[in-house]
This record gives sequence, structure tokens and C-alpha cells, in this order.
Amino acid sequence: MIAFLRSGFSTRRSRNGLWGVPLVIVVLLVAVLTLATEQFATRENLFNLVAQAMPLLIAAIGQLFVIIVGGLDLSVGSVISFSTAILSLDAPAVVLIPAVFVLAGLVGLINGLVITRLNVHPIIATLAMQYILLGITRILRPVSGGDIPQIIISAVQGSFLGLPMPVFWGVIAIGLAAKLLYGTRFGLHLFGIGGGVAAGMEDAARNFGIRVDRNIVLAYVACSLFAALAGVFLAGRIVSGDPNVGLLFELDAITAAAIGGTQLSGGVGSLHGTVLGAVILALLANGMNMANISPFVQTAIKGGLLLAIVGLQSRKKMGL
Amino acid sequence: MFDGQQEYLVEMRGISKAFGPNRVLRDVSLCLRPGSVHALMGENGAGKSTLMKILAGVHKRDKGLIRMNGVDLNLPSPREALSAGISTVFQELSLLPNLTIAENMFLGREPQTRTGAPDRRRMRAETAAALAELDLKLDPDQLVSTLTIAERQFVEIAHGIKADASVLILDEPTAALNAADVEVLNRSIRNLRAKGRVIVYISHRMDEIFGICDEVTVLKDGQYVGTRAIADVTPDQLIAMMVGRELADLFPARAGNLAQPVLELRGFKAAPKARAFDLTLHQGEILGLAGLEGQGQQRIMRALIGRHPVFGGSLHLHGQALKFPNRANGIRSMARLGLGFVPEDRKEEGLMLGLSVAANLVIGLHAEKPAVAPARALRDVVQRMSDALRIKTASPATPVGALSGGNQQKVLLGRYLAQGLKVLVIEEPTRGVDIGAKSEIYGLLRDFTNAGGAVLVTSRETVELIGLCDRLAIVHGDTVVAEMPAGQATEHGILAAALTTEGVAA
Repeated sequence: MIAFLRSGFSTRRSRNGLWGVPLVIVVLLVAVLTLATEQFATRENLFNLVAQAMPLLIAAIGQLFVIIVGGLDLSVGSVISFSTAILSLDAPAVVLIPAVFVLAGLVGLINGLVITRLNVHPIIATLAMQYILLGITRILRPVSGGDIPQIIISAVQGSFLGLPMPVFWGVIAIGLAAKLLYGTRFGLHLFGIGGGVAAGMEDAARNFGIRVDRNIVLAYVACSLFAALAGVFLAGRIVSGDPNVGLLFELDAITAAAIGGTQLSGGVGSLHGTVLGAVILALLANGMNMANISPFVQTAIKGGLLLAIVGLQSRKKMGL
Repeated sequence: MFDGQQEYLVEMRGISKAFGPNRVLRDVSLCLRPGSVHALMGENGAGKSTLMKILAGVHKRDKGLIRMNGVDLNLPSPREALSAGISTVFQELSLLPNLTIAENMFLGREPQTRTGAPDRRRMRAETAAALAELDLKLDPDQLVSTLTIAERQFVEIAHGIKADASVLILDEPTAALNAADVEVLNRSIRNLRAKGRVIVYISHRMDEIFGICDEVTVLKDGQYVGTRAIADVTPDQLIAMMVGRELADLFPARAGNLAQPVLELRGFKAAPKARAFDLTLHQGEILGLAGLEGQGQQRIMRALIGRHPVFGGSLHLHGQALKFPNRANGIRSMARLGLGFVPEDRKEEGLMLGLSVAANLVIGLHAEKPAVAPARALRDVVQRMSDALRIKTASPATPVGALSGGNQQKVLLGRYLAQGLKVLVIEEPTRGVDIGAKSEIYGLLRDFTNAGGAVLVTSRETVELIGLCDRLAIVHGDTVVAEMPAGQATEHGILAAALTTEGVAA
């Protein structure tokens, strides 16, 4: 345990990145908010915090998959809006819910194929997808509205075993990602591919016999599916389809991953770090709201934090 | 099939390969017997690594046949080669730095637990065993980025052996190893041979070839020269097979008497542990740094413009003592003193391929001026250099990337000649350039020195150095081990000088 915690502050012991830093920040933020305000440490606020954090947490987990292979996915926000728009259509839940994930998987597939087959830079490929999907979403649902299937609303707003539902969404999303990243050969291959990209040896993973292109495509599919999951959750919270609800989510997701010690050059990063990054963003918003800090100032503080934490990490030290 | 046993485990026949217009392999054959260590020899650029990369599935062959156990193999990617039982330890390090040793050892063929997860316990245990077999005391859970170069090399070898392949390709496996390490490696190779495996062994070290190999195939200029049993050849005969070609009549006359030193290095150390050496370049002289590839020629050259750190010594230019330049403005400061650096890779480091011939020619002149000075087109300079160098282009506005290799190289050279420099440090003056343009470039360099300039040059092609230079300095282990007049040098002599000193060092 101690050795594991120490590895969070070292770039030499593991490829998890500096996740010890966000851990310390989370502990500090919780301590400060608990001492400074009375509302923070209440059961009600903490459950509310989990619900607030959940869409970003899920989207950031998805983003982690593509960042590990040295890519980026800017279409995440549109996938989220698109998912809420689909769910608000007039059709039964048994049709809508599978449709959301099938379509999102298709989006990821197209992203991955455009990047690997057409050799388009990930930023351009997914930026284009972001616009395309935003356009389609606005056709489907020009302004916020429509009804969301009751089952989703219950699954987001209800509670189970005395715990609010968002807790279970978090457990399932994190558990699924943990299995994919650390409990499959697929996850190991993603790290291998990203390490090769970061070290300037694009062919290295291929020389090991890894199906590089296929794994990269699957990483983008995973990212889109997690984004769709975040979208379904958001739909249950806002109880309508909204073409703008996902706006800028892709950048917040990247921010969460980066704060969590994930290297954008690929091959270095961790699930726990990314979760911590998302928690920090949620804590900041929650705490600053309580302190009546203007949302504009909050945004500036978020940027400053990102810069400070990423500035702490030296890429060269990792031999990458 | 025939006598119940195949004579050869692997047959490569009539293999040809070209990269663009550059024909790297022409009708090369290689036949490997089971239970043997087969050396593959040839000069730098003879095509050894390309041939092996074709067998490893990294490059696709243009023509030719590969059979294993009498079955035709199509090797579109490394994956197919690996599953056919062909395992490679590449010359350049190819382990993934962010994975542990154990993960690298099993990458792409991880054992799985019942839940489908990589079986880390088994990977760890088997890796520890494989490392122990090579006398390595390393933690399988260590990240590869924390290993030394020699350790990485050993892990690569362990990885190649671990693959349990019937063919193991070792491309210069000992480059980073000391004598004791080499002995450990040889023990493993003998074990594999006893099991009936085939080991292809690429190395420049004669003692290793004669110590461990059974047969040797020699390549030269991308062509097959011959295959011999090691017992039937001597090192001298092998060197003759590797080099024995006529010197083409490509080269201009050499310089006469040389008196005036231009560039002097004293007690120069290009690497922390290298022996210090002296080197003098005279006015009117072309001095070549010769030797095996990657022995420090490039480090020495690049130290002069601050692109590589210097570990001791002094530098005089035109008799004036100078500090060694730093990385940030070394090229600028040396250009101001009349020394220009022509980098090896004209596409990556030299030319701006998307810009015009004219812009590439005059950019050196512009670089000398303040950043906000107006950049005149300098059409007269462009015209003069195009004429002098006989650059074949539709117009000066043509993007330089559209020109042939030879003309690109002339544009690069023209940039430095236009600056009116006195000393040129040139890496690979004719890489990827056809024979006619080569001859022209040699002539241009000789004209430059006849007009009072001086040239320090490296090349992978030893023949080129012998023909072009007045004097050669043989570099080995980051130091100059011998000097000789180029007129009396032979490829054999240079190779022997480098290899002999290597034997001493090891």
C-alpha cells in the first residue's frame, strides 16, 4: 500500500503518471471545505457532489482510453448532447437505449477508422466529427425539450440500498474501465501502443505483433461508448434532450485526465488518477459555488490548476 | 520429403527490394540450415538489415520467394513472421519504455488467466527465469525506461529467445555489450543451436563471427556475394568478399601540399569515457572521418556546432582559440566564424521541402541578418548558385521537394557555398544520390577546397571517402584510432584498422 502510494509521486516506478499530486489536492480540498463551510460535509451535499461529478467522470474515463494511445477525442461533447437528443425522441426505451450505444459505437468506429486508415490527425478527425454530430443533434432537437424514458430518470435520480443511484453509475463505469485497462490484453496493448508513439517508435508495438490499428479504433469506440453513458446519465438528470448540454465536455474530460497525471503524448496515465482529476474539478465547482465565487473566476482557476499540475510533470524523466 | 529431412529450414531466394528509386536488394538469396548459426556480413548499407527486416515481416519484399520447412511464406507484417516462428532482435532498440520487462517479454502473446486478464504471475515467473538464464539480476516488474542501454539490449535478446521461435535473428546484438556479456550470449546461442534452431547473426566483429558461427553469407551493395562455411575462410578473405570492388573513376584529383591549419582539435573528447585525440584540418584539404557506422563520427562532427556535448579538449579556428559552441546558437555563431554544417538528412534537417529552390538557397544568407531585416529575393545569388552548381529545376520557384535527390543535395550545398564560408563540415555528402550527381558533387567540393576552403566529411560509403578525401582519420569508439593518406587507403585497410583496435579494446 505504502509502495503503491509512493509510486504516485514517482515517474520511474510505474506508467501511472503523477496521480499522487491530485490525491493530495483532493485530500486538501476536502479538508479545507469541511473546515471552512458547514454545508460541505453534509450527506446531502456529498451525494449531490457525486451526481454533479458523474457525467464528467464517465466522459474522462472514456477520454483516457484514447489519450493512452496518444490520441485525443474532441467529439465527446457532441456525443453526449447527441445521446440526450436520441433519448428524448418519441420511441420506447427498449429501442432508444440500445440505439444510443449503437450509434455512439458507430461514431467511435468512424473516428478510429478515419484516424488509422485515412491518417487524419486525431484532433482534426474528431473535431470534424464534433461539428457533424452537433449539426445532426440540432436537427433532431433544435432546443432543449422532449421526454426521457422514465426508467432512465429512475436509474439516475432514485436510490438503492440507501445510496443514491449515481454512486452505482460510478462503480459500474470505473469497474468496467478497470477491467478493460488492467484486466485484459487489450488494455496492456493500448499502453504499449501509446508508449511507442510517445517514444517516437511508432512501429515498435507493431513489431511485437500487436494489431495496432485495430486497437486504436477500439480505443475510440470505447471513448464514444463512455461518452454515450455520460449522455444517458445527463439525460436522466435534466429530464430532456438538450443540444448544448455536452458543450465543452471534451475539454473538461481532457483536463480531468491531465490533472490526474495522464500524459497527452501517450503511454502514461491511470484510471485512479483520472477519477481523482474529475473529482477535483467537481470539488472545485462545488466549493466555489458555496463560497459564492463567480463561475467566470472558477473557469480561470480551473485553467490555472491545469497548468500548475501539468507543469509539475517532466516528460523527459520518464524516458518517453 | 527428400531423404526424410529438409536440407534448409529457411530459404530466401531472389529477394529484391527498393525504397523509392533506391534499390536496396537485388536478387539476394539466403539459405539457413537447422541447428546452425549463420553470419550475415557486408559493409554498411549492403542490405543486411533490410534482408532481415523482410524475413521479420517489417518490410515487404518486391520480388522473391521465402520458404520455411518447404512451405511458401507470405510475410505482410511482423505478426505473421512471429507466428511462423521467426523472432528478431533488431539493431535499434525497440522495447517499449513505459512497460515493465515482463510486459515487454510477453507483449502480443500474453498468457491469460481464466478471466481473460494477462497472467501477470506467470509472466513474472517466466521472465525471471529467462533473465536468470542470461545471468541478469533485474526485477521483471521494472519499467524498461529505467534500464541502461546494455540491460535493454539483454532484455531484447531474452525476448527474442523467449519467443521459442525456430529462427532467431540477431542484428548486431553485441553493440552495447562487453566481453563478459558476449560470452553469456554465446552460451545461449549454443543452447539454441543444440536444439536445432537457426540463428542469423549480424555483426562486424570478426572474433565473434569466427567464435560462434557455422556459415557466413556476404552481401555487397544489395547483392549476394557468396556463402561459405566458416571453417573454409579466413578473416582476410571475408573482408575481401565484403569490399572487393573497383574504384570507379568518379573522383577529382587530390590536393597538393597542405600547410596552413584551419581547424585544430586538441585533446578532444566526444564521449565521457572516450580516449582524447587530436585532429587538424588544413586549408585546401578534404579530411574524412572513416570507420564503421555509428562509432562516433557523427558525434565528433556535431560537437563542432554544439549539437553534441564535448567532454574535454580545445578548438582553434584559423589559429584563434574558441570555446566549444553551445546547442542554442552553435550553428549561427560558427557560421559567423566561417564554418558551416551540412546535415546528413537533407529532408529532415537540411531542406525545407515545401519551399522553393530559391528560398532554400538564400536562407543561409538571410539567417545571418537580424530577424526583422527585409528578406530580399537575392535573385542574382540564386542565379549564380544555380549556374555554378548546375541545379536542374524548372524554375527557381519550384518546391525543392520536387527535385531529384542529387539536385536537392546540390541546393543544400549551394546554401552554404552562397554564404561564402571557409570551412564546411559535411555529413553524408551524397546520400541517396545517383552516380552522376555524386561525381558532380565531388567536383564541387574539390573546387571549394582548391579556392581555399577546407572540408571535414563523413560517409557510410568508405569508397567515397577514399576517393574524395586527401586524408582519412579512422574513428572507433568515439576516438580517432588511426590516420592515413586517402591515396594509400583501402577499404580493407580501414576495416582492419577499426577492427584490430576493437579487438584490443575488448
